[in-house]
Amino acid sequence: MKKDILAVFGILLIAAVLVNGTHIQSVDEYYLTHIDDITPESETVTLSIRCDTILQNYDDLDPALRSEEFVPPDGVILPPAKYVLREGDTVFDILDRAVRYNKIQLEFQGAEESPFGSVYIQGIHYLYEFSCGPLSGWMYRVDGVFPHYGCSRYELHDGQNIEWVYTCDLGQDVGAEWMGGKQ
Amino acid sequence: MKAFARVHPAVSMLYFLSVLLISMFLSHPVLQAEALLGGVLFCATLGRRGTALRDIGFYLPLFLMVAVTNPLFSHNGVTPLFFLNGNPVTLEAFLYGFALAVMVIGVLLWCKAYSEIMTSDKFLYLFGKAIPKLSLVLSMALRFIPAYLRQARRVSRAQKAMGLYAGKSITDRVKNRMRVFAAMVSWSLENAMETSASMKARGYGKKGRTNISLFRFRSADGALLGVCVLLLAVSLAGAVAGITKFTYYPRVDKIETTPAALAVYTAFGLLSLLPFILEVKEALVWNYYRSKI
Repeated sequence: MKKDILAVFGILLIAAVLVNGTHIQSVDEYYLTHIDDITPESETVTLSIRCDTILQNYDDLDPALRSEEFVPPDGVILPPAKYVLREGDTVFDILDRAVRYNKIQLEFQGAEESPFGSVYIQGIHYLYEFSCGPLSGWMYRVDGVFPHYGCSRYELHDGQNIEWVYTCDLGQDVGAEWMGGKQ
Repeated sequence: MKAFARVHPAVSMLYFLSVLLISMFLSHPVLQAEALLGGVLFCATLGRRGTALRDIGFYLPLFLMVAVTNPLFSHNGVTPLFFLNGNPVTLEAFLYGFALAVMVIGVLLWCKAYSEIMTSDKFLYLFGKAIPKLSLVLSMALRFIPAYLRQARRVSRAQKAMGLYAGKSITDRVKNRMRVFAAMVSWSLENAMETSASMKARGYGKKGRTNISLFRFRSADGALLGVCVLLLAVSLAGAVAGITKFTYYPRVDKIETTPAALAVYTAFGLLSLLPFILEVKEALVWNYYRSKI
């Protein structure tokens, strides 16, 4: 019987760890993210989300997504806007806050699950990696440069301009050359 | 009795293949629900009394597990219910998981029915001549799990009889399972070799070796084959025409109710209920004859 008690205790411990590690929010709570008001002395960055490349490769797009609801006709999911930069904010923090504030769907893989040690953005606004051909997915550039590392490792400074762009060709069609792909 | 067990092997093989392939590859909720219903009713006619409760005890938790696992890993969909660690848990993912569970359980039940009906002798009768090695391997693989369970029970009973792990404690029982499992691994390897050696000793697969088989292709088999092919053709035509396409992400499709779609649903519904209908018909005929005595 002693062994059984130990086994039950072990199972309870695992359950407790699992419950402790999960954080459940209701829909309203999730979207109720307040964005700091912009004051003259606050540091800000600009963020925009676009998917123009899908419009050029519409034939490759998953048929379930072929509607103006999911792919806006002008390719703009989130027009450029200024967001207040908090101390130590990364590209991912700003994106997360911006999509919550604008009620845009976002799915990501957490930094601890990803082999890159950084958050990986799987889909924004129902547009996922591989939704538009085998070389498609989300990339980001800061001041026109595509960084070589994940978005939760890029710390931002005042006045920087972040653009999230959807690529259908491993970055070739949005101007990122270092990903390789076809020459 | 099992009416479907007396059907010619070629017809029942074609039947099982068509139902299994359609329910696995055409992911339409109506077709999958029909396959599940057909599988449940078929297995109900096959099952011995008393196993039903145990089966429900196995399939229901499995069903719930599959249905609930999907939304934890898939966050696509336009209707978020709540947010888990910053990722949405959506209605669409739940529905997809539910459909997936219906499909998995349906296919499992059909495989169960398959193993009851398509015994090794039928399988070897169909394929033994054409592909002797592969058909032997396949028939051994298909009967592996039932044979394995039987043997595992025997080993476990033998251990209990020797007084090992006879206690009620859970850890003891787990230890017993581990020990039985270790014995079973070597048994299954040895058994596979022995079976193939024994079949070789009987001249299996050699040229000129003849087999006796009691299967005759009756006119009723021909009629059943015709019905199967017709229903299969209608279902496949629906698949080619794109009627059975159904997407869950990002928004769940509406279920089509055009006449063509209804025809496809009816055809596959009839196809998956065929063994049950056959069973009911046999029972009615039997009762009718008895009433005349």
